[in-house]
Amino acid sequence: MIRFLSETPSRRRFGDKCQVVFEQLKSLLISSLSSLGGDSSTRCCSSSWVSRLEGKSGKSFPGWAFSNSSAWRMASSLRAYLTALERVFARTQIKLLPKMNEAPKTWPSLYPGYPISTAVTFSFHNPDATPTPSSSNHPRDRRRRSSVTPNAAATPSSTDDVPPSSEAGEGDDDEAPPMYVWGTNISVQDVNAAILRFLRHFRENPQQIEGKYMRIINHVIETEGDSLDVDAHDVFDYDSDLYIKMVRYPLEVLAIFDIVLMDMVNRINPLFEKLIQARIFNLKSSTSLRNLNPSDVEKMVSVKGMIIRCSSIIPEIKEAVFRCLVCGYYSDPIVVDRGRIDEPTACVKQECLSKNSMTLVHNRCRFADKQVVRLQETPDEIPEGGTPHTVSLLMHDRLVDAGKPGDRVEVTGIYRAMSVRIGQTQRTVKSIFKASTSSSLMPFSTYIDCLHLKTIDKSRMYVEDSMVTENEASRNDNESTLDIEDKVEQLKELSRQPDIYERLTRSLAPNIWELDDVKKGLLCQGDINILLVGDPGTSKSQLLQYIHKLSPRGIYTSGRGSSAVGLTAYVTKDPETGETVLESGALVLSDRGICCIDEFDKMSENARSMLHEADEQTDRRLAKHIVALHFEDPDNSEQNVIDLPTLTAYVSYARKHIHPQLSDEAAEELTRGYVEMRRKGNFPGSSKKVEKRDVAEAFRLLEVAMQQSATDHSTGTIDMDLITTGVSASERMRRENLASTTRSIIMEKMQLGGPSIRLLELLEELKKQSPAAEIHLSDLRHALATLSGEGFVVVHGDSVKRV
Amino acid sequence: MVGLPYDCLANPLGAVRLTFEKAVGPGSDPAALDGKDWGAADLFRQFLFDDGGLSQVNPFPDVFFSSQLLMRVPLLNPSTIKWVMPNTLVRFRGMIQDMLGNEYYVGAYKDGDKWRTNKFADVSQCPVDASSDMRIWERRLLYCVPVPGQNSWVEPSHEAMKNVYANSISPQREKRQREDDATMTDVDMVEAGHHALEDSPNFKKMKVATEGNSSNSSLVPVDRNSFPCLVKIYDFSEPDMKLNDVFEFVGVFTFDPDLTVGRDDNDELTENFCEDASVSLPPTKVPRLHCVVHRKLGFGDFLRSPQLELTPCAIKEVREALLGHLTAVLGNDRVAAQYVLLHLLSRVHARVDSIAVGKLSLNLTCFNKESASVFGNNLKRAIENLLPFTERLPLTIDDLNTVSLAPKKDYSTNRLVSGILQLAEGSHLTIDETPLQSGTLNSTGVENARILKNMMESQKVEYDFTYYKMEMAADVQLLILSEGKSNILPADLILPFHPSSVDSTLGVDEEMLKSWRWYLATMKSLCHSIEPHMQKVVEDDLVAARQADRSLGSQEFSRWLTMGRLMSISFGETCLSMEHWQMVKELERLRKERL
Repeated sequence: MIRFLSETPSRRRFGDKCQVVFEQLKSLLISSLSSLGGDSSTRCCSSSWVSRLEGKSGKSFPGWAFSNSSAWRMASSLRAYLTALERVFARTQIKLLPKMNEAPKTWPSLYPGYPISTAVTFSFHNPDATPTPSSSNHPRDRRRRSSVTPNAAATPSSTDDVPPSSEAGEGDDDEAPPMYVWGTNISVQDVNAAILRFLRHFRENPQQIEGKYMRIINHVIETEGDSLDVDAHDVFDYDSDLYIKMVRYPLEVLAIFDIVLMDMVNRINPLFEKLIQARIFNLKSSTSLRNLNPSDVEKMVSVKGMIIRCSSIIPEIKEAVFRCLVCGYYSDPIVVDRGRIDEPTACVKQECLSKNSMTLVHNRCRFADKQVVRLQETPDEIPEGGTPHTVSLLMHDRLVDAGKPGDRVEVTGIYRAMSVRIGQTQRTVKSIFKASTSSSLMPFSTYIDCLHLKTIDKSRMYVEDSMVTENEASRNDNESTLDIEDKVEQLKELSRQPDIYERLTRSLAPNIWELDDVKKGLLCQGDINILLVGDPGTSKSQLLQYIHKLSPRGIYTSGRGSSAVGLTAYVTKDPETGETVLESGALVLSDRGICCIDEFDKMSENARSMLHEADEQTDRRLAKHIVALHFEDPDNSEQNVIDLPTLTAYVSYARKHIHPQLSDEAAEELTRGYVEMRRKGNFPGSSKKVEKRDVAEAFRLLEVAMQQSATDHSTGTIDMDLITTGVSASERMRRENLASTTRSIIMEKMQLGGPSIRLLELLEELKKQSPAAEIHLSDLRHALATLSGEGFVVVHGDSVKRV
Repeated sequence: MVGLPYDCLANPLGAVRLTFEKAVGPGSDPAALDGKDWGAADLFRQFLFDDGGLSQVNPFPDVFFSSQLLMRVPLLNPSTIKWVMPNTLVRFRGMIQDMLGNEYYVGAYKDGDKWRTNKFADVSQCPVDASSDMRIWERRLLYCVPVPGQNSWVEPSHEAMKNVYANSISPQREKRQREDDATMTDVDMVEAGHHALEDSPNFKKMKVATEGNSSNSSLVPVDRNSFPCLVKIYDFSEPDMKLNDVFEFVGVFTFDPDLTVGRDDNDELTENFCEDASVSLPPTKVPRLHCVVHRKLGFGDFLRSPQLELTPCAIKEVREALLGHLTAVLGNDRVAAQYVLLHLLSRVHARVDSIAVGKLSLNLTCFNKESASVFGNNLKRAIENLLPFTERLPLTIDDLNTVSLAPKKDYSTNRLVSGILQLAEGSHLTIDETPLQSGTLNSTGVENARILKNMMESQKVEYDFTYYKMEMAADVQLLILSEGKSNILPADLILPFHPSSVDSTLGVDEEMLKSWRWYLATMKSLCHSIEPHMQKVVEDDLVAARQADRSLGSQEFSRWLTMGRLMSISFGETCLSMEHWQMVKELERLRKERL
């Protein structure tokens, strides 16, 4: 097998890319075969894999086999190993292309014929022609370096003491020229060693005995997991050079990563059957979906967005088994190569050899899951007047169905471009996978080959997304953490200002005039529900919209975020004036953090407020404000106001991180106030504040709120019924009266089961009976609703029937 | 004669190639041209505007419009598409209805030793070897439609267009067009250099093929309201294009019914990737325009009349005539005519938080079925004649419960499905509430009512993206006709309509109409300010008004100031004067009397 390494130069390019694989395979095969020692006639299914490798290398292995059950297990493990190889191949799409012998292309070279691939990735450079990257990275130096740190890397795993097979293979380094990633001066061996070093030695803090990833690998093995999540920040911290290589040449580096990982796993537990894949996440910088551009193709990228569509799961055939219809012979599994199966044309059984007799046996084939997911920009990233951009994600295996539509996710993956071929007619060129050489070229489809998906918790607030979590805070070399600390410091600075309360109040909806108490109340939003009641045109809706802006934007998704589902309303048209009114129905404007409900129905015009004081000063301020609104540059109309992002951050931070304790004195005050309030009118509310003055202020606000909201317009008194039921006592009385009057009219005018009467007629009658009261159609509807609830009448559209 | 201008019109790709070859000398790498213009767009700009200097900083936007050369570029519309040839320069005027994201394409590739480009083309013009060197570039896809509600007077007559086109190309062309021949077999124009084009057999075939298509109407959508165009924008750096903006695009027209992505491959994966919107927009249905030059169109760009002198006297005259016309249309109700005039001049000129400053929606009440049909229709016709984009929406319970007012994203096609309220800036919408009767609204109806209310109050429309809603700013003049005051559609102004006569003879001179259109478009875009002393007067008036009537609030004040502004600009003045302020107060007094 050593012969692989010394192939003729013309075969080198292919040999090189196999070399990494075979180096690993070599030691494993030798060790496994020698440990088993047996030779038997039973061929295991792995042989097809081996034969595939043989086919690729043009060499042949000696016939080999296993004799007993432990051998079978071994074989399975080997099979997993080979599956891994297959995946590596699949990922890098290593394939001998016809043009392969030409001079290396500029990277990234894109082969439209191999849409999901990047053709050959490892190449052989003439060491004389290509200078080695840097002497410190030379394999020989690396050896030396690794010998400096072995004690620090002392892991309990005994296998660690044995030189890894890859290093054993590197014994040939002196003769074997270094391999480079195509078109670059990145040495494959260096990357291999760097990854190994990282996995073994990375520790979050020096006290830890065991490396972080060694611990995780062991855990993955214990739990029979199939992937290892690797925090890209860790890679960066340990070896920024490796990080850069990984991000720029993810296909190659990840292939090596997986091989290293396999190798480690096999040395820890040679019987471990599954293949473990490295999943990189948490890149140093994430790209806005909008900013992805052709230069990102083939790079590792991280984008945030919202899943809007998931395709059905696409079973992708990996191995096909055929059966002979004549003799019933089952073929060996045939590996699918880029969506193509080499269908056997004849039965291979010597006794049979029938032509065209082989048929696919579906339930013996091996399939892998695939899924295409569409990711869309979140609303906060969309510039004004733009529409959200989308990108496709290709999910494999475990990532399939990891997110569902509506989820906000952060994905890490490799950005790919795939050309779509078209022909002059529909029939000539069908598949994008088929490498026909002529015809025109359509634009590319782009997608992200997904490595990792993280669902961003919906309930988390803005600050948590962008600000400190405990973990990150401990990492002081992190620039963004510094940024965040700066921000927090600024916020704290702001909070120390004497007039902060007023400033905050002023900054809240600065263009809405006055209403300071309401604004103060709204600032406390979050833990308390607020009922904002007021006359038409007193900026309630605007305040709500502002508050809505203040709350973390972007995530108003809970499945179908639609608001008006199942809601109905009634349009009435006044028979006399023709005035139209929409009755009933409160609408939820948004969720996440704040639920803003805007009352839909209009209050009657008569209920114009008498609360405004006739103060000329406030009138003048209002006038000035309105004139400024119309004639001044909106940017400089308000000074000394905290800008919206800061205000948002301030409120979010305060809500998240400030947990005030109630002082005894304040608690007492609270109790006293509460009792007093109860005495005043059974108000079941309370507030949660700290100092005595806070409590006082809270009560002051509450009182203002009470005065403004719970004033019964017809009596001018504070009405607790209005707060608890939404209907004032006098109003309820009025309704009851109306209902009983209506009842008597119906008793009088209508026969049981007789002809129905129109609403308007009834209204006329009602008005005749009680000329003093102002009765609207809506009042009548209320009354009739009560009566029909009693089973007295049936209301059918505009007609009433007594039953 | 065959000069440079000729090439740009008939063979724009030849011009593109020429400049590309000049930019990419032998041995140089086109990587330097990634995302850049190498002078092709400049060449076209120079050609179209006769003078490169004008196009860079154009102090007179009208020059663009009146440029004779630009006028010769055929306007793509349902009738011209029948004779416009593929791969020639065309114009398209439309609204950006949807943005389909960016598309990657092979921008440049090496053909032997020579770099070639695919820029401004759908397909490469010679086979691209899979292994050859290439550069991937990106372009932006915009789905554009004719501006909703565009009135017939806006578009130039098609015959005129055709004549201009025929003259500008060459007399021989006409003959060729009539030739009868087999259908197009090959669009490749590999060797069709600009000099060779005339005699190229491909060229002949191509022409005939288009001609052939035109007779087969199934290939070309004939409905003028659904004549979309997929515009591909190159070298975009400035985020100057917004949804619902109205643009004029000049570029290479491609329309190739044979170009279809193979879809009969049953590979599900492929289909999932190819499900992009472009697939649902087959080239057989939607023409492509590879944009070379584009510009946003303003109010004035849709006027074809010669502009008038901007003297206060002339303006006053036009104003008076228009007011007289509106008064006649409104059955001699001059107060209503005054309000309608202000309303027609209104636009959102600033947004402060959620307040759209400058809007002036008008609710004319006291309509009944009869008067709505008489005056409503007169008014509709009058407005259609005055403004370029007008829409009308009769409101019934059924409509409210079924129509889609706001655009909605369809994730299965990845397209934004338009709604009635997806309107271009400055559109006019008349909502007739008179057919509305009492009844129950279902959830769609409630949602629609809310959308309308939101549109009335803040000039914003919430686009439905299923998982969230996105507010898009609108600037639409809203006129409500109703029996009584509409509380579903709360307008800024409520005015009971009191007609006293029915004038059925409303014939208007075309020249008058032109001057009125010009007047409205020009006055509307005027800037406006206030002098300090006038500001004091206004403030005092507001305070006094509020002292007298406590029910007045910011809404009323806002309305008065908007009216003051509109009154000023209706006289062509940019500064609020005492006289106009008094007129506003008087007008409001008259209105109040009617309430």
